[in-house]
Amino acid sequence: MNGKNRFGGRLAMALVFVFLYAPIFVLMVFSFNDSTSRTVWQGFSLHWYQELFQDGIIINSLYTTLLVALLSSLIATVAGTFAAVGFYNMKRRWRTPLMTINNIPMTNADIVTGVSMCLLFVAAFGAWNSFAQQINTASGTSLPTLAMGFGTLLIAHITFNIPYVILSVGPKLRQMDKNLVEAAQDLGCTWMQAFFKVVLPEIKPGVVNGLLIAFTMSVDDFVISYFTAGPATSTLAMTIYGMTKKRISPKINAVSTLLFVTVLLLLVIVNLREAGQERRRKHPGRAASPGSSRRGTVLGAGALAAVILALVLLSRQNSARVLNICGWGENIDPALIEQFQEETGIRVNYQTAESNEAMYSKVLMGGSGYDVIVPSDYMVSQMRQEGLLAELNYDNIPNFQLIGDAYKNLPYDPENRYTVPYTWGTLGIIYNTTMVDEPITSWSALFDPQYAGQVLMINNPRDAIGVALLYLGYSVNTTDEGEIREAYELLRQAKADGVYQSFVMDEVYDKMEAGEAAIAVYYAGDFLAMHENNPDLAYVVPQEGSNWFVDAMCVLKDAPHKEEAELWINFICSTDSCLANMDYIWYASPNARALAEYPAYYKSLYGEEMDPALYEIMAAPAEVLAGCESYDALPAEVGDLYKNLWTELGIG
Amino acid sequence: MAKELIRLVDCCMSYDDTQVLDHINLYINDREFLTLLGPSGCGKTTTLRIIGGFTTPTSGKVLFDGQEISSLPPHLRQVNTVFQRYALFPHLNVFENVAFGLRIPRREEINGKKKKVKLPEEEIRRRVLEMLEVVSLKGFEERHVGELSGGQQQRVAIARALVNRPKVLLLDEPLGALDLRLRKDMQSELKRIQQQMGITFIYVTHDQEEALAMSDTIVVMDQGRIQQIGTPEDVYNEPKNAFVADFIGESNILDGIMHQDYVVEFFNRKFKCLDKGFAPMEPVDVVIRPEDVDIVPVEEGQLRGTVTAVTFKGVHYDTIVDFKGYKWLIQTTDYHPVGREIGIVLNPDDIHIMHKSSYSGMFGDYSSYSEEYDEINDPTYVEDGEEAGYEE
Amino acid sequence: MKNRRSLFALPYVVWMALFVVAPVILMVVYAFSTAAGEFTLENFSRMGDYWIVFLRSFELAVVATLVCLLIGYPIAYLLAREGVRFQRIAMVLIMLPMWMNFLLRTYAWMSILENTGLLNRFFAAVGIIDLGNLINGGLNSLCAALNSSVIQWLNDLLGTQWALNTARDTAMTYFQMINTSGAVVLGMVYNYLPFMILPIYSVIVKIDRSLLEAARDLGADSVTAFRRVVLPLSLPGVLSGVTMVFVPSVSTFAISRLLGGSNIMLLGNLIEMQFTGTTYDPWLGSAISLVMMVIVVVCMYVMNRFGEGEEQAVML
Repeated sequence: MNGKNRFGGRLAMALVFVFLYAPIFVLMVFSFNDSTSRTVWQGFSLHWYQELFQDGIIINSLYTTLLVALLSSLIATVAGTFAAVGFYNMKRRWRTPLMTINNIPMTNADIVTGVSMCLLFVAAFGAWNSFAQQINTASGTSLPTLAMGFGTLLIAHITFNIPYVILSVGPKLRQMDKNLVEAAQDLGCTWMQAFFKVVLPEIKPGVVNGLLIAFTMSVDDFVISYFTAGPATSTLAMTIYGMTKKRISPKINAVSTLLFVTVLLLLVIVNLREAGQERRRKHPGRAASPGSSRRGTVLGAGALAAVILALVLLSRQNSARVLNICGWGENIDPALIEQFQEETGIRVNYQTAESNEAMYSKVLMGGSGYDVIVPSDYMVSQMRQEGLLAELNYDNIPNFQLIGDAYKNLPYDPENRYTVPYTWGTLGIIYNTTMVDEPITSWSALFDPQYAGQVLMINNPRDAIGVALLYLGYSVNTTDEGEIREAYELLRQAKADGVYQSFVMDEVYDKMEAGEAAIAVYYAGDFLAMHENNPDLAYVVPQEGSNWFVDAMCVLKDAPHKEEAELWINFICSTDSCLANMDYIWYASPNARALAEYPAYYKSLYGEEMDPALYEIMAAPAEVLAGCESYDALPAEVGDLYKNLWTELGIG
Repeated sequence: MAKELIRLVDCCMSYDDTQVLDHINLYINDREFLTLLGPSGCGKTTTLRIIGGFTTPTSGKVLFDGQEISSLPPHLRQVNTVFQRYALFPHLNVFENVAFGLRIPRREEINGKKKKVKLPEEEIRRRVLEMLEVVSLKGFEERHVGELSGGQQQRVAIARALVNRPKVLLLDEPLGALDLRLRKDMQSELKRIQQQMGITFIYVTHDQEEALAMSDTIVVMDQGRIQQIGTPEDVYNEPKNAFVADFIGESNILDGIMHQDYVVEFFNRKFKCLDKGFAPMEPVDVVIRPEDVDIVPVEEGQLRGTVTAVTFKGVHYDTIVDFKGYKWLIQTTDYHPVGREIGIVLNPDDIHIMHKSSYSGMFGDYSSYSEEYDEINDPTYVEDGEEAGYEE
Repeated sequence: MKNRRSLFALPYVVWMALFVVAPVILMVVYAFSTAAGEFTLENFSRMGDYWIVFLRSFELAVVATLVCLLIGYPIAYLLAREGVRFQRIAMVLIMLPMWMNFLLRTYAWMSILENTGLLNRFFAAVGIIDLGNLINGGLNSLCAALNSSVIQWLNDLLGTQWALNTARDTAMTYFQMINTSGAVVLGMVYNYLPFMILPIYSVIVKIDRSLLEAARDLGADSVTAFRRVVLPLSLPGVLSGVTMVFVPSVSTFAISRLLGGSNIMLLGNLIEMQFTGTTYDPWLGSAISLVMMVIVVVCMYVMNRFGEGEEQAVML
């Protein structure tokens, strides 16, 4: 090869490495940024690292990720090695079909593996739980109910890891001299001794390699975990995926940087060690003690153990009582969770859903793990009618009396036996005053090609089709297929015209605050949160009227922790909690006293009067509410129509 | 008079700091069977690779038919190679392996225009089948190369190289991976093919028997230098130095002093010999082949010694005899038990005189006979070095 | 004796039955049933509406796979010819990003590609966006001029209504990069490129150098030697690389979600929607998964048939 060729080749390789590492480098640089921005540098700071270590959710999920990776790769390595030995000794007639099955998790798309295992767990646990319930009520025993969680996550990871181990060990077995075992037996070993003394050392490189592959695959996995971890368990990837659907925090950059640096260090150590061993092999005269490589292994294992131990301490996973909540992103003051945990010793898993429809899916596909959910009115009706909700014992929720009468006995729960309202508000248009020419007053802005590429449409069928119906002058609760299709057509046309930059839910925060888009459809409370960070934003309930919604706390029928759930609901209803929560999430509280006292609370906290216009956006006055309509539960066939139209809109 | 085909002029080769070839000068005639013989790491494979075009010498020239080809890439040389481990293409069957070279379009000048010429399929088929017949592999066309035995793979490799009608065939230890019996068969087979095709073979081996049996000319190499060039008889009978004497056949090598032409002294005794042209009283190496020594009763011997070990070898006995602390290997058909005192007689034509060289004193003593013997007989024994590739 | 040792595999066989076979069977059952648990084919007939998603997924996955192949093959080939030390370091560097979760790697691209992201800020700073506006403006006036002359003349002549686009954006403040199919393909290539390089590299590096020398010796120049020896022998690596890139690409939902916004709906997103997303319908979701699985398996089977001879050869 001549020099020019080699230089060209090296240049090409260098470019590929730049491509591979530039994004990671960017990620790492901005982890030290002294601002929430991920693109504008505003000075050096370790702020995000500090926040990272205080973020229980991230630390917890990092711990889960490492623990699952470690356990699943170890178990898969042992099981896979034995399975490989078994297959090796098996007759071809049996081995071939079994190997084909073994290959299924490797050749199948991750999502198919994840989804199918999810179906299995949901079906199996559902069957077991109803069986256990019957037995329990019949004979007074207390058979435990099962839910998806760490166990199912571990099973899933073991299942997709074993094939990689077999793939790595199998060839080593086949390469092995068949006489080795016989020689060992001839020298007096039993077969088992021969296995440990002769076979295992021979296939060790394959076993170690399999372990490494399994660990890598496990750390890298997202899709399968996403479908099998259940509500209460979250790997780092799942947490990050959840975060990217909300306000993105540079804490992610910080955790990425830490991960990258750790892995880099580990690899450097391993490679230096290998290079050292090689040198020693080449110059046996200078051989170091054979213990040094073992010392390295022990050192590595010790380091990993130390990291996990540190994470255990940081994640404080010591409490036995837990509560699994499914709510909305940016919809709870984390300090309240902390306070509740400290007061009661109950550990709270706060998971979020993107929309009511997604919450419904998660409840059904979550393998019965959630306790408290916070759906909106129409979804409460649907779930209540489908028998998914448990009746509450209001004796355990004395604070229920603090709820304003206007928020009791609403159509979604006419006798108020299932719910306690959490927040209420309006849907409206949020726009950036510097990016539009004149104030927006009508839903028409959402369908106007003038704003091509500037509109963020809301990403759930009820709200999106709802605003189109409102614009057309129809009721949001219409069951007339023609009207609904007309509304759909409006959306489809606007999408085809390129009006919508994207369909979003909580991603709206970052995008509107950063000026990525001019117009968005979202909720009043969230507008106020964005307004804090970007005063150029404005909110309007359009002239055609809008939706007035109530989000209510419910307990699921198969909730494993009902008692804790009611404790939580009562805690949240207190006036103090409501005030603190309102200050954080800016959604109006149904606690009448808290709502009325909020301006005073604001003044005591910040030393200045609250802008009355903002207060009116949060707690919409009667004249605004008069023009608003709340969503009713739709009949099943209309629900299906919504679903189909929504999917069609998505794929178009 | 044979025509000269290839000439290496002052070829040197070094990797990093190691000098692999040290001023190699060599010419090879048309239709000659020439063997490069030497231990591992002696530079024989490197020499072959220079001729094949796989390596460019650090300095020096390679001439082919009088034209310099030092930097000509291998595919433009009229030379083909049979590789150490055959290098058969695993993705092709026997037929396609042999046809590989024929399927490559040649650039040819036709009426002053350069054109790519493809051989017609029929011609390819005819030549491949013809060549498979030459190597006795008729009927194996469709076989996968992985299904062939070592000897058959060997033949495919030869056919694949010869089908291109090269002027020179290079063979790099082609028989190294075969068992003893097959190796003997292939030796005569190769010789037959060479004569049938009427082309030059350059053959690399570390096996002296193979070299003696097949070659027209043997080039003995060690440490990157040519030690001796000659016919098998020359090299065996008139080794130039202790290395050659020891490497080819068995030799007892002694220190001696050349008193005058035809008179040499060793063991404090003068012997008649057939060599001349040395300086008076020049220290020399004396070579005595084990089979040339005659054992006689003690009283008749020119020298007397004691038998210390005997090994039965079938045709003869290897007998180790101690002469005043210096041990010789003597091959006799008569049995002399250990401990017996014997005499020996050396005729003038049994004694070969060599100038002293850097190898003097390194070979030819059978004090540690058994070890060295094992080493010589172990075909898998390889020293570390450049050419250690075939051990696997 | 031999059979008894095969019992070592028994626990795993049971495990496979429970966690590999049973889920797939359950998925098939779901695909053929209604919410009420009755047999139906409706889930499949409804899928006709989603052909565009299938098409788009396969299209993007094919493009991503091809790009990976075009980048990955030369890199693997060049790498295999470097020195041992260089190779080892390069391998570590290629594997290293895989130890960070792939979601982090995808997330990294978000801040680069956004409208107000790093790349657009860079383009604006060095005036590339202004240049784009200038070019668009120039093209607009050129097209307008053509419209009123040549095109006008042609339309008059042929009675057609042709017109060149004169409405190219001349007031761009950013280039649209995120939320496009290009961004999704980029994400796929970025995440899965190592899966292409590694298998190809490991096959090429094992090819005996003497095979190349033999080809050269038999008259092949370096291009021919590559085409007739290295390429066919590296095919098994290419096949496994293609599989390892294509399958996750065709089924991804995170990359399309993060880099494609909700504009680029792929099969993965469609399936995810049915299970944990906005349109709960695991029956339809199972049917889509099943069809996707079958298509992928058939593709892989055909491809492997095509490369079978070579596979055997490399085992040699």
